[in-house]
Amino acid sequence: MIRHLFTLIWNRKRANFLLVAEIFFAFVVLFVLGSLLVDNYRKYTAPLGYTYEHVWRVDMDPNGQPISRQDATFQRLIQHLKSMPGVRSVASTRSNTPFSFSDSSTDFKADSKSTNSDIYSAGDDMQDVLSLELAEGRWFNRHDEVAAHPPLVISQEARQALFADEPAVGKIVRAMDDKEFQVVGVLASSYRGRGEFQELEPAIFQRSENLVDPKDTTNFDRPRLLIRVQPTATAELEQRITKEIAAVTGGWKTTVTTLPEERTTRMKFALAPMGGMVLVCGFLIFNVALGLFGVLWYNISQRRAEIGLRRAIGATSSRISAQFLGEVMVVTTFGLAFGLLVAAQFPLLGVMGIRLPVYLASMGLATVLIYVLTAICALYPSQLAASVRPAVALREE
Amino acid sequence: MLLSYLKIAWKVLLRRKFFTFISLFGISFTLMILLVVYAFYDHTVGPHTPEKKVARLLFINRATVSYKEGDGSNNGTISYSFLERYVRPLRTPEKISISTYFASTAAYVGNQKLDVDLKYTDGQFWQVLDFDFVAGRPYTLSEVQSGAHVAVINERTCRAYFGTTSGVLGKTIETDRIRYQVIGVVKDVPGMRFNSYADMWAPISTSTQDAKDPSYFGDCMAIIQARTPADMPVIQAEFNRVVDQVPVPDPKKHAKVHVYAGNLLSSTVRWFNNNSKPDDGVAALMGKVALMTLLFMLLPALNLINVNVSRILERSSEIGVRKAFGATSGTLIRQFLVENVFLTLLGGVLGLVLASVVLHIIDSSGFIPYTTLTLNPRIFASGLLLSLLFGVLSGVYPAYKMSKLQAVQALKGGRN
Repeated sequence: MIRHLFTLIWNRKRANFLLVAEIFFAFVVLFVLGSLLVDNYRKYTAPLGYTYEHVWRVDMDPNGQPISRQDATFQRLIQHLKSMPGVRSVASTRSNTPFSFSDSSTDFKADSKSTNSDIYSAGDDMQDVLSLELAEGRWFNRHDEVAAHPPLVISQEARQALFADEPAVGKIVRAMDDKEFQVVGVLASSYRGRGEFQELEPAIFQRSENLVDPKDTTNFDRPRLLIRVQPTATAELEQRITKEIAAVTGGWKTTVTTLPEERTTRMKFALAPMGGMVLVCGFLIFNVALGLFGVLWYNISQRRAEIGLRRAIGATSSRISAQFLGEVMVVTTFGLAFGLLVAAQFPLLGVMGIRLPVYLASMGLATVLIYVLTAICALYPSQLAASVRPAVALREE
Repeated sequence: MLLSYLKIAWKVLLRRKFFTFISLFGISFTLMILLVVYAFYDHTVGPHTPEKKVARLLFINRATVSYKEGDGSNNGTISYSFLERYVRPLRTPEKISISTYFASTAAYVGNQKLDVDLKYTDGQFWQVLDFDFVAGRPYTLSEVQSGAHVAVINERTCRAYFGTTSGVLGKTIETDRIRYQVIGVVKDVPGMRFNSYADMWAPISTSTQDAKDPSYFGDCMAIIQARTPADMPVIQAEFNRVVDQVPVPDPKKHAKVHVYAGNLLSSTVRWFNNNSKPDDGVAALMGKVALMTLLFMLLPALNLINVNVSRILERSSEIGVRKAFGATSGTLIRQFLVENVFLTLLGGVLGLVLASVVLHIIDSSGFIPYTTLTLNPRIFASGLLLSLLFGVLSGVYPAYKMSKLQAVQALKGGRN
């Protein structure tokens, strides 16, 4: 039966070639889109590593205050804000706060292993501000001020990359400029500052330093804070904080944004292109389906004589429709075979930088979808074929 | 002749409505998607308010300091002092404007916070760019020089802060606890125009920008207006000579300072690539876009070819008759191409209608703030061009196939 179908298709190879090409491209489109979606779904469902509700980001502009005085002012401000009613905890940070469009990464070495890691700067209260969970060791505290080596807290990914299964706490880690750090704690999971759609990459926290580098005063940063507020906090508290900061610091300007707001913006940026792609690909596939349906319908109306003859010599209507469905499935298989050949190059050449299981899953998904799609398109035309009455068809001939 | 071809084409379209629907659906949606993408492109870098004179404008918005060792570099926006020192004295430009990038500030309406994106500019800013003033006027060079606390605000801020857009001139707006007198109201500028976008514009002399700051990096940008479009390379050459002389911040560590003046497209691409290399990356981007467009059109084109091939076979007796009466392959190919282009142009018009609907939906959804995506003559022209390309792309193979039909077989109604 199947051999016979192959012969039938081979006889019409020119006409079928276009169908095969169309199915091939439809598969490739579905495969690429599927890979992206499956990969993003995997990232989305992975743990973020922190909580963002009721956390506010406070960006400040010293507004021309001499940089030599900024650090003292900043320390005073942090102590002051901590005692404000409605504020639970306050920690200084750098520009790469969660969901911001700023990131910073550097290389770290530990004995023989090295890795590139996102580097975050965090004050002593950051564990409470972002509800970070530790698997080993401890978070930063004020005794670290006088530690021989500046302390680090590393995420599970960074731990894997630098120490594999060996103990990590207490080990010395070197940065690019050979500055030595000591690991004091390991997070319970990963930490993904760029949000839900960031790859599970190593992340390392260092204890926040002075705003102004004491050795090089041209190297300075703006004061930034992350604040965990009580769940009942409103815009009124925001205004109060702004006024308080201006009063304590002598005129610093303040911008307050909430992390849920930032997350929404970040989500928009991640989801809009994905949504656009899904719409465009959906249109392409629908277009292919319509075309396929039209061509199959036309082909069957051309082959009425053949169908009539088969019916006349005893083929049942279900066998006729099975033949046409089978033909379409064989054509689809050809298209898919080429498609899979191309799809297999993606993981081999590492085109999109996605892991193998994701590729395999999306290959499976795309294959099933294409089969279902062609089957649906072939269903009506093949039923039409089955309903051909032999006497009528043969008389036309 | 052409008219009779078109008549035939119309009759064929009406004959099998389902096939016509498939073809037109494919063509119009393909073109709609391409047109929407092009509208976004045009909206970002085309000549629109306020960058109307886009062919005469150069933008300087990113600096790169490269390291001696490895291929590391520092990238960022430029400081006010750098622009004052190295851009302001340029001799070839007609006008030079220096401004900060917009930064978020907080104004309060009662207890409600209002985010106001504030951009500090010099007086030339209003001469180089063409804003649509709803009321009032821009601030002048002398007002900037004297550090007057005056501001131009956009309609949205005006409505949110004062509750009305009329009669606000002379009133004060307080943001980040600094009071400004409103002297002008302009139409909202789309956020994608990040060189000019803001909610409120104020004289740069009222900001904390320091002309003696030794750092090369800051949060400023420059816009240069050339006398004629032909002057642009001259200005770029002069600026490159100036930048070549700029000393590096630390001779032990740094190799060179790179800053380039590019047109709106080039500076936008540089902005998104976050660098300031000699190659602005426009050629690479355009290559990628062309490839993606072709790939995207391939599937609908294949579909159309498939449908077309089927439809031609249906007309084999007509072709047989024409061949028998002496029509050459060339004539038949031409006829079929004309028919197909007619079909795709029809689809193109439908696509334009669909695109305008989609653009309207995107505008009114407010997904991207202040966008005013509309169809304009450039988009219309590119739509027609694309449908022509599409028509030829999808018509050649079926037409060739049609011309190859043998007259005798065709008359019998056979295929292949």
